[in-house]
Order: sequence, then C-alpha cells, then structure tokens
Amino acid sequence: MTMTEDRSARRLQATGTENALELRGISKLFGALRALEGIDLTVRPGERRAVLGSNGAGKTTLFNCITGDFLPTTGTIRFFGEDVTAFPAHERIRRGLRRTYQISLLFTGLSVIDNIYIACRGVSRGRFSFIRPRRDDALMASAETLVRVVHLEDLKDTLVSSLSYGQQRQLEIAMALAGAPRFILFDEPAAGLSPTERSELVEILLGLPSHMGYIIIEHDMDVALRVADFVTMMHNGRIFKEGKPAEIEEDPEVQTLYLGGGDDA
Amino acid sequence: MRDWARAHPIWTGIAALLVLILLYLILAVWPEWIDSILRSKKIFLSALFNGITLGGLYFLVASGFTLIFGLMRNVNLAHGSLYLMGGYIGYYVSYTTGYWLLAFPIAFVVVGFVGVLLQFFVFRRMEGEDLRQTLVTIGISIVIADLLLWVVGGDFYVITPPDWLSGPLETGIITSQRVRSSGEVTNFYLSYPMVRIVIFCASVVIGVGMWLLLNRTRIGMLIRAGVDDRDMLSATGARIQLVFAGVFAFGAGLAGMAGVVGGTFQSVAPGEDIRFLLASLVVVIVGGMGSIPGAALGALLIGLAEQIGSIYFPTYAVVLTFLIMVGVLAFRPQGLLGRT
Amino acid sequence: MAMSDFQSSIDASIARNRGRRPWIERVPPAYWVLAILLLVMPGFASNFVLYQIFGWTFILGIIASSLMFLAGYGGMVSLAQMTFAGVAGYMVAIFGDSAIDTISQGWPWYITIPLALLVAVLFATIVGWLAVRTAGIYTIMITLAVAAAFFYFARQNYEVFNGFTGFQSVSPPQLFGVDWQDAVPFYYLTLFWAVAAYFSVLYLSRAPFGLALQGVRDNPRRMGALGYNVTAHRVAAYSFSAILAGIGGILLAWQSGQISPGTVSIQPSIDILVIAVVGGIRHPIGAFIGAFLYVLLKTFAVDVLISLGLDGDRFNLLIGMGFLLVVFFSPDGLLGLWEKAKDRSRRDPLTGRPRE
Repeated sequence: MTMTEDRSARRLQATGTENALELRGISKLFGALRALEGIDLTVRPGERRAVLGSNGAGKTTLFNCITGDFLPTTGTIRFFGEDVTAFPAHERIRRGLRRTYQISLLFTGLSVIDNIYIACRGVSRGRFSFIRPRRDDALMASAETLVRVVHLEDLKDTLVSSLSYGQQRQLEIAMALAGAPRFILFDEPAAGLSPTERSELVEILLGLPSHMGYIIIEHDMDVALRVADFVTMMHNGRIFKEGKPAEIEEDPEVQTLYLGGGDDA
Repeated sequence: MRDWARAHPIWTGIAALLVLILLYLILAVWPEWIDSILRSKKIFLSALFNGITLGGLYFLVASGFTLIFGLMRNVNLAHGSLYLMGGYIGYYVSYTTGYWLLAFPIAFVVVGFVGVLLQFFVFRRMEGEDLRQTLVTIGISIVIADLLLWVVGGDFYVITPPDWLSGPLETGIITSQRVRSSGEVTNFYLSYPMVRIVIFCASVVIGVGMWLLLNRTRIGMLIRAGVDDRDMLSATGARIQLVFAGVFAFGAGLAGMAGVVGGTFQSVAPGEDIRFLLASLVVVIVGGMGSIPGAALGALLIGLAEQIGSIYFPTYAVVLTFLIMVGVLAFRPQGLLGRT
Repeated sequence: MAMSDFQSSIDASIARNRGRRPWIERVPPAYWVLAILLLVMPGFASNFVLYQIFGWTFILGIIASSLMFLAGYGGMVSLAQMTFAGVAGYMVAIFGDSAIDTISQGWPWYITIPLALLVAVLFATIVGWLAVRTAGIYTIMITLAVAAAFFYFARQNYEVFNGFTGFQSVSPPQLFGVDWQDAVPFYYLTLFWAVAAYFSVLYLSRAPFGLALQGVRDNPRRMGALGYNVTAHRVAAYSFSAILAGIGGILLAWQSGQISPGTVSIQPSIDILVIAVVGGIRHPIGAFIGAFLYVLLKTFAVDVLISLGLDGDRFNLLIGMGFLLVVFFSPDGLLGLWEKAKDRSRRDPLTGRPRE
C-alpha cells in the first residue's frame, strides 16, 4: 500500500502547471432529461481517477462530452490548458486524448493487428494516403508493440469476430493506447470479465507509463479502488463526493448507496 | 411562438420588418422609384400571388412526403409518380363526369389505395432498410412513369375548372392610378384567377386541418409520438401497422389530390412526376424533414423563389431555388424548422 | 443493402498483404482469359460492337465505378455522379474545341483535360461537403436535387453552357497521328481508362484512405474516436469519385461527339445508379457488369420487345422491372447472386457443409 501511494505521489509531483483535464459547469440536456448538471472536475496530469455511480448517473454521458461524441449544453472543457469545448472528436484525439467504449466498437471483419493498425494510423500522418503501406511500415511496428502490451500477441492475426469477449475488451484498450496518448478514458473496461481477466486488466492498467493519466468508469469497486488515486462519485448527473479511495470506501453515505446495497458489479 | 420571439429578438424584428415592407408593397400605391426597380406593381403582385399559390400546391405534395418520412423514415421517391397518377385520374374523372369537384375525392381515394399497396408490398417488407426502400421506389417510379406513358401517351392534359371558378376575381388591391388632367383619379385594380385563390385557400384549410389533426386528436398524438420515438409507439400497444398504412394512404392521397390541383393550375404531362418529386425534396430539405409547418414554410419559400425568380431573373430561377437549398444545408442542415 | 463490417470484399486487408507471392502468380486464370479476349477483340469484332457496345460499356462502367466507390466503400449513394461526369464533359467542350466556336476556347488538350477534371473535382467537393452535412438517406435526395439543378441550369444558360442544344462536334485530340474517334483506337482508349479506373478503385480500397473510408462507413463514431476526421474522409471520397466520373464524362462526350443537357438529365443520373446497383456495389467489377448489361439492353431491347409482340418504346419498363427484381431479390446485385451460387456449389447439397 505504501508503495502504491509513493508511486502515485511521485506521479502527481511530476506535473506541469496545467491540469490534464478541467471541466467547468458541464451540463447536458437530452430534451427535458438532464443527463449532466453542473459538473466541475479537475484531473492533473498523470492522475488516475475512478468515476463511480449507479447506472444512469451520467458517467458515460460525461465521457461522451469529454471526447466530443456530442457537445455539452453548457460548460467548458480544457485539455492540458487548451479549450477544446467546441472541437470535433478527432481534433481532441490528435491532442492526446483517448477512450475505450463500454460496448465494443471494433472492426469485427479485420484481424486484431489490423484493428490496432487502424488506430495507429488514425493518430499519425498519412491518414489520407492513397498509397498502400509497405510491409516494414513503422506504424506496423508500433501496432506489434501494442499487441504485446495487452497480451494478445498470439492472436494477432485472428479475426476480431472470433475473439472472446474478454479479448475484445483487451483489444479496445490496445486501440486506446495507439499513438502517444496523454490521457485515456476507460469506460467500464472490466465489465463482463472473469476474475483472471480482471486481474490481468489491473496489471495492464498499473503497468501504464506514469505520465499517462486516466479516468476509469467502473462498477467493480475492487478494480476501481486498486487502479485509482482519487475517486469521484456521481449520482443523477451530479458529482456528490470526491476523495481518496480509502475515504470513499469508509464514507457511510457511499456505503449505504453503493457498497452495502446491491452489488451490481 | 412567443418563446421563440423572446429567444430571438433580432430575427423577430427582421421578420416583422419584412412583413411590414411586404404589406406596404401590396397595399400602397407605388411611387416611381419602386416601379423602376420592380418594373410594375402588377407584374410584382402577380408574381407574388403566383408564388404563394404555387407554394400551396407544393405544400400539398410535400406535406404527404414529409409526413410519411417523419413517421416511418420511408423515403418514397415514387411520390412524384403518385402526383402524376392523381393528375391523370383527375383529368379523366372531370372530363367524363363533368364534375370538377368529384375529381378530388376520387383521386384521393385511388392514389391513397396505391399508397397502401406500396406500404404493404414494399415498405413493410423492408422495414429498416432505408437504402433498399429508396432504390425500390426509384424502380417503381421508372415503371409507373413508363406505364402511364404507355396508357395515356405523351400529350398535355389541362383540367378545366367549372365556370363558377374560371373567371378572374377583382381584388381590392390598386395596381396603378392614372390622374387625368381634370384631376380625376382612375384606380386600376388587380384581378386574379378565381380558381387559384380558391385552391390556395383549400390548401391552407388542409394544412391547418392536418396541424389540428396532429396536435389535437388522439390519433395525431400517436403519430407525433411515433415521429419522436418509433419504439415508444409500438410500446403503447397502438396497432402500429394500421397507423402506418393510414398515414401512407393519407400522404399518397394528398399527392393524388395535388395532381388534380396541378392539372388545373398548369397541366399534366410526362416529366411532371420528376418535377414535383424534386420540388417536394427541396421543400422538405429546406423546411425540415418530417415537419408539417416546415413543409409549409419551405413550400412558400420555394414557390415564391420560383415565380419571383422567373420574372426578375428568368435564366437563374432554378439556381435561386437551389441556392436556397444550399444555404439551408450549409447553415442549418436539419432544415429551417427541423429538429436536430 | 447489408453494409456490414469490413466484408470479405476487402478480403485482402493489410495483414494479408504481407507475405505475398509475386503478383503475377496471384492473378486468377479468369483474369488472363478476359484480358486476352479484350485485347484481341478488335481482330474479330465489328466497329459497331467496338464503339457502340464496348466503348459505351467501358465509359458507363467508369462512371458507375465512381458511384460504386462512394456507395460501396463510403456508404454514400450519390445520384450526382453523372453530373460530375457531365461537368467534365462540358468543360472539355467549353475550353477545347466544338462546333460552337463562339463559346469554345480552343485551348490545347493538355490544358483542357486536366482543367476539366479539376473543375469536376472542385464541383464534387462542394457537393460532397453539402451532402455529408446530413447523414444517411438524405444524401440520395440532396444529390438528386443537385443533379436536377445542374440539368436545368445547363439547359437555361446560353452564355456558357449553350442552353438546350449544348455542344456538338466534341472530339478527342489527334494525338500521335491517331484519330481517337475511330472505332479501334477509341476502343483501346476506353479499355485503358476502364482498366485504370477498375484497378485504382481496387488499389485504393486497401490503401489507408480506402480502409479509413470503410471504417467510417461501418462505424463513424469509432473512427472519430481514433483520430480520423470523418467529414473530411467522406468529402475526399466525393472528390476522388469525381476524377473517375470526370474521365468517364470526357470519354462520353467524345464517344457521342456532343454534350448537352440531355446527357446530364435525371434519367441518365438514375441509369448510373441502376447500373451500379444491378451489377453490385461491393466490388468494382459490378459496375462494368451492370454497364455491359445496360448497353446490351439499350441497344437490342427494342428488337427483343418487338419480337415479343410488345411496343418497342417500353425500354424503361424493362429497365425498371429488371432493377426492381434485382433490388428485391438480390440487394448485392448480380455479383451477390454469383457469390451465392458459388457458395452453394462449394457446399455439399446434402449436409450444407462446405466441401473440402
């Protein structure tokens, strides 16, 4: 435990003056439905944050606003000091933001390595290249590296459609790691995984380079508290509590709402 | 409406100003300088009225198209063929029976029935396959066009309105004044074809009726709920297929009736199907897909653009219509009154 | 039309491109037979067959393959491809030579042809930018409106487009002392460009741009989250398709020796869609199969109809019914039927399992 704390302290010290992510007054309306209301959130570079909350608390909507899948109704989003509120998704991605999806959005007709290759290509130059890549393409090399990071090297030429669910989740993570991400949003990466796969996931997350911050949405408290430095609790589109994993775990309100209640993980 | 005005004070101001200018142009006796810009009040007014009445016709065609799209997401590119069919039926009925008015219900019913057939045999079989439906309706429109050409031939047919509608109507609007040397003032009044005015009023009535039906009745509520959320509609236990077939019949029937109107205004001939299909497309793209008020606004704009354009810049009238569409797509891709 | 994930149509993805045999060994024998047949065709075919049947097939195939590229790889069904072709055809007549020497500038071919293609590409880029602002089925409506607007404009504008009559005596340059409007040279000219269009579409489908475009077709949101500019890819697809369509349009103007509003009216625009869909939009060969069928029908249907005791004018009925049948029963066009048949022949008729 002390070692983990030590590590996170070092990571947090190694910050610049700018926050990795800064949300101010983010609200999102779907018709009359308030999915998010007045969200303020600050994440420092290298910080690892867990966002917890019941279904419908607005966690995925928050991710969608941060990545630009849709625009927030009000509020501003700054990414490493830059106001990206009105940026389209791909511009944010090119600035080093990445995400994974709750439901796998993979190219099922392509092999594992090709999926990662497409992800690498997306954040490189030559996206519009009309020329086919050569065999010793540099991007192919980085795709090969990524496939090892998520322990899928034995399956790299397998079609994604024949991967197991857990392997698809790992591939999702590899695609988010393509290029040089500065900050990643993980949307329930552990959902539906077996205990072994979960510990493998924790291992992957803890093994990420220390400058790489992330936010993880997770139902599994166990996973969330192990991989996060800081926890944000959401309920009905609002943030209602923030704190260190230990504080959250011991908070009576949180316990009645989530930990004691139906364990839906 | 009031909320909108409060939220957009500048646009409201501009709209009010435009209405005032328009009223002035219609009611006042023009000074020389306006005459010199707009040629003459008579030309301007008849272009304006022609544009508005043409807009009424476009509305009849496009409202069916937009209703069907809004509810069922079916893009019926055979809509123009339904219009043409209605025109020929109208001609046949009014020619053989001698009753012009009889042409409307018959065209409505027959073309509405064709619409039900389309819904039953085409759209219901390809639920959710947008592209395939669209391609099939293109095929159907090719086939119908050729069948009609085969049966009726390539001639122009003009449906003649009954006597009580065929004369001009003296409006109270002064087009010009002549001042004699004696100081006596003679007013010249605008006269306008009676039939156009009556038909325009009828299309306004139909439009308002549709709006009331959609907004004030239970079935209208069902349809609107379906436009907003199709899953919800089936969840309410409504007999969704019946509603779909009904809306399709109604939309197609409107196109058929519009064919009779078009045949009276202008003429029925091969090629009109594509012309009115295009008009409907542009109208709903401009007004917003699936919105009845949008179709009304779009139809008015396009009708006016076409008629005023053809008087003041005849070569580029089509381009004017097209530019309106481009402008709307560029700045408001969902259409003027469309929802995002 | 099932536009599912990256399909077997892109069977050769990047991974499979690695560890390849020399290309010459990978060409299936059927390709060799076809290539030789097409090359020696002028030896035995009549000028009419070369010029009217094959020349026209190749031209329509090139234009239809531009639609196949947009629709098959980009998921955008455009009815404006004939318009892009027509723009290029008009530009060649306007900047180059025609019977209307008050308008035609008479510039040399090495300026007019690139310029014509450039104008077509610019036009298509603007149209594409407008069309991709809305998604899905709107595309077909917007492009149809564009096609109609251009037709009416060309018909009414006499200063530049010479209105209803258009331009006559549009002919290819006398390059290398060859009259390219003669049947045999024209056959080889169109064959060359058809082959070029075919292979460029195939090649591009596996280049980064083509792969990204197919990714955008299947999953635009995901592609955005991977850093791809979805809109830019779609617009660029329009621009590229206009190069193909433009080449087809220039050849078409030369083949018929004229360009007029009739070339770009609604009917031919829809015909291009019919050709591409009937052939099959999953592979560029579909465009050429569709074009060949269309040309055969257009040339001989009148005789067939009359011999069947029907009115010779009912050509459109035939086209429409054929189109309907294909869309109803085989959304993937004739290619789809062919693949199904191949698939069935590979299966054991009793067990339904694939044969060894």
